[in-house]
Amino acid sequence: MFEFLIHVAIMACLYGLLALSLNLQVGFAGLVNFGQVILFGCGTYGASIAFSHQLGPVAGIALGVAFALLVAVAFARLGRNLGADYWGIATLAVAEVLRILANNETWLTGGAQGVGGIPLLFGDMPRPAGPLATLGLCLALLLAAWWLCSRLTGSRYGLALKLMREEPQLAVSLGYDLSVLKTQTLMVAAVMAALSGFVFAHYITFVGPDQLVASETFLIWAMVIIGGSGNHLGAIVGAFLMQFLFAFVPFVKDAFQLPSEYVAAMRLTLVGGGLLAFLMWRTQGLVPERIGGRGNG
Amino acid sequence: MADTVLAVEAVAKAFAAHKVLTDVRFRVRAGEIVGLLGPNGSGKSTLLNVVSGFSRPDAGEILFRNESVAGMPAHRIARHGLVRTFQLPSMPHRMSVRQVLHAGSREGAGLFDAFTPRRGDHSQVDVLLEQFALTAVADQPASSLSGGQKKLLSIALALRTKPKLLCLDEPTAGVHPQLRSRMVELLRAFNGRGVAMLVVEHDMHFIRELCSRCIVLDRGEIIADCAPDELAKNERVVEAYLGKSVERQKVLA
Amino acid sequence: MVQFVVDVLIRAVDLALIAIGLSSVYSLIRFPNVALVQYATTGALLALFLQMIGLPLVVAGLVACALVGLLAVVLNIALFERLLRAGPAIAMIGSLALSMLFSAIFLVTAGPRPQRFALDIKPPLRFLGARVTEHQMISVAISALAIAVFAAILFRTDLGRCMRATATNSVLASATGIDTRKVTNTVVFLSGVMAALGGIGLSVKGEMSAQLGLDMLLPVFAAAILGGLGNALGAAVGTVVIAAAETLVTNVNFGPLFGESVLFIPAAYATATSFLLLVVVLLVKPYGLFVSEVKRV
Repeated sequence: MFEFLIHVAIMACLYGLLALSLNLQVGFAGLVNFGQVILFGCGTYGASIAFSHQLGPVAGIALGVAFALLVAVAFARLGRNLGADYWGIATLAVAEVLRILANNETWLTGGAQGVGGIPLLFGDMPRPAGPLATLGLCLALLLAAWWLCSRLTGSRYGLALKLMREEPQLAVSLGYDLSVLKTQTLMVAAVMAALSGFVFAHYITFVGPDQLVASETFLIWAMVIIGGSGNHLGAIVGAFLMQFLFAFVPFVKDAFQLPSEYVAAMRLTLVGGGLLAFLMWRTQGLVPERIGGRGNG
Repeated sequence: MADTVLAVEAVAKAFAAHKVLTDVRFRVRAGEIVGLLGPNGSGKSTLLNVVSGFSRPDAGEILFRNESVAGMPAHRIARHGLVRTFQLPSMPHRMSVRQVLHAGSREGAGLFDAFTPRRGDHSQVDVLLEQFALTAVADQPASSLSGGQKKLLSIALALRTKPKLLCLDEPTAGVHPQLRSRMVELLRAFNGRGVAMLVVEHDMHFIRELCSRCIVLDRGEIIADCAPDELAKNERVVEAYLGKSVERQKVLA
Repeated sequence: MVQFVVDVLIRAVDLALIAIGLSSVYSLIRFPNVALVQYATTGALLALFLQMIGLPLVVAGLVACALVGLLAVVLNIALFERLLRAGPAIAMIGSLALSMLFSAIFLVTAGPRPQRFALDIKPPLRFLGARVTEHQMISVAISALAIAVFAAILFRTDLGRCMRATATNSVLASATGIDTRKVTNTVVFLSGVMAALGGIGLSVKGEMSAQLGLDMLLPVFAAAILGGLGNALGAAVGTVVIAAAETLVTNVNFGPLFGESVLFIPAAYATATSFLLLVVVLLVKPYGLFVSEVKRV
């Protein structure tokens, strides 16, 4: 059980990174990104491609981050003339195309079966030291990302993003280049997501296209909305909450002796029902956004 | 002309088949406050949108400080120093008045500035809050302000960018008379510091107090370009507002 | 060649029903309702269930369509009218969340394995040199009829006139005495019926699975956006384009272009084609190929 909890905590940290990343896009820049999982996928496949070609982990990170930045710029370019909801559909479409590509281009990505045997983080250390070290790393990454996001959004840049999100015309009239702001936010968020993917690849030791299905994006969305968008702590709270709930669903299924499809169904209900409930009745999420405060912060 | 801040030449704009602006030409010189008047539907807002880059002209030339800005994206025109306000200033729900004012200046608002040691320009914001009588509401959500306060805030924001030309879209509409006189004082003060202004307005008192010159639009064309006092004597202007002689008699009878 | 056209038409006609439903209802509710594809699956599931308890297929189909139409209206009133107040992006996310709930329900009722309608197996017929089964022909005929009826309603009845008025300018329409809410809900009902019919049609020709709706999400959206959201006729044309592109891309031998005798694009890329088309359309002509009255993208 202890090792299981460590595992859940590690996954919660990695999802926390993804939620922070999405929150930066949605809650601060108003970017309704439904292709979030593919930015994560850039990290996982960066690791897997580097591994398949014996390039080493540093190359893996570099590849992952580079892919993610490319996709981010592509997303931003898409958004020039599109309303938020259409852009969301477009990002979903792009993510799906890339997933199908990963699923089929076996020469590059290992195809549908993916790539296994990726070196495990702290693999030389005995259990439970290895997993604990991994957890330590993930926590450190999460906290670093939290610091980065807070610094970013607490600054004048953050105010610019807020202004852009709420009153884009006003922001434009004051000289703000909205497409640059959006591109920058997407790029920062993409790097965070890619790093999460990279660490994930070296923890699960396996990378495959099934990890990039759209339902993962929806889960991250639920984390952001339920936790509270526009609020970094909220994103982390949402990630931990959903991840722990998800982890215990199989136990519930066993307790009630339900057939196996109930696991997926329960998780879908948690995500869909949670999202819907909060959108209808508590849009500010569990941890609401603070308004006001001192000038620069 | 060295001291011409804004030169508009032969500007035309149509929406589908409907011609909103036809052959509009006028100038704004440095230090001037020019009023832009006209009955409803005359194209004033469209002209403002075209000049500030929120709308593309179909034809014509717009020179701002001798640089061609026709068709330039609105944010770039704003960066050049031509800043406009909106008729119905909508303000953020999730930002306080103080935060909005801070966001008004792009200096130090870059991505990498977020990680360099902060230099506060709180004093500048405090001064503005004071001047525009917004200190009491500084920490409230900007959307909770009254209409008049929002207008003052939008003018404060525009002025914070240190514009060379400020274009105001109906600044006094719906504003309390007391706030209105404060607005006149403030605009005069900033004009004294070198900000030229183009003011779209209906309120003749405001125009007379502030503007040295007026341009009148009617159905997309400029029909007058004179001092405010001469407007009443201008046959075409009276006609535009009150209709032709015959109908006017009926109206005035 | 004829087989190709026939295949395209058979696939297109069911997708068209759903795309037309999506497009028409969009012009009134002003956000892309992702849950509509799940209404299609619901229709298929209900019809299957009704047939299993003894109702003849046609009756089961009709009842299922009516029930789904009603469900669509109930959901619109209970959920979407409220979500829309927060904006179209929120409403779309809400519809996505609702889709997940539907998926959960499908998983536990229909189960993860696909199901089939109880149909007599008959040998396929020959029609102008192409092989078509009797069921396919009847299904296509019914779907085509439904489209024709919908078109008739749209262009020849008072309801259609009110609908087009409300779509163009709801404030003005309301001022002229049109009960815009009732008109909207009537169209919601019709779109639900059409979606259900499309779902039944697809399931009759192939099989019904819990994934049915989600698998067609992006192609249907691509078709509707291609034709210009709000333009029902455009949606029909858009579906044909999408279906043709999908079929073409995987059935054409690209070998000669690359100096090889045989080179086919893998079948998996069929759906990727429609997604790419969607992205390209959004980039190039965000309002769709045909100018529609609804100018908000």
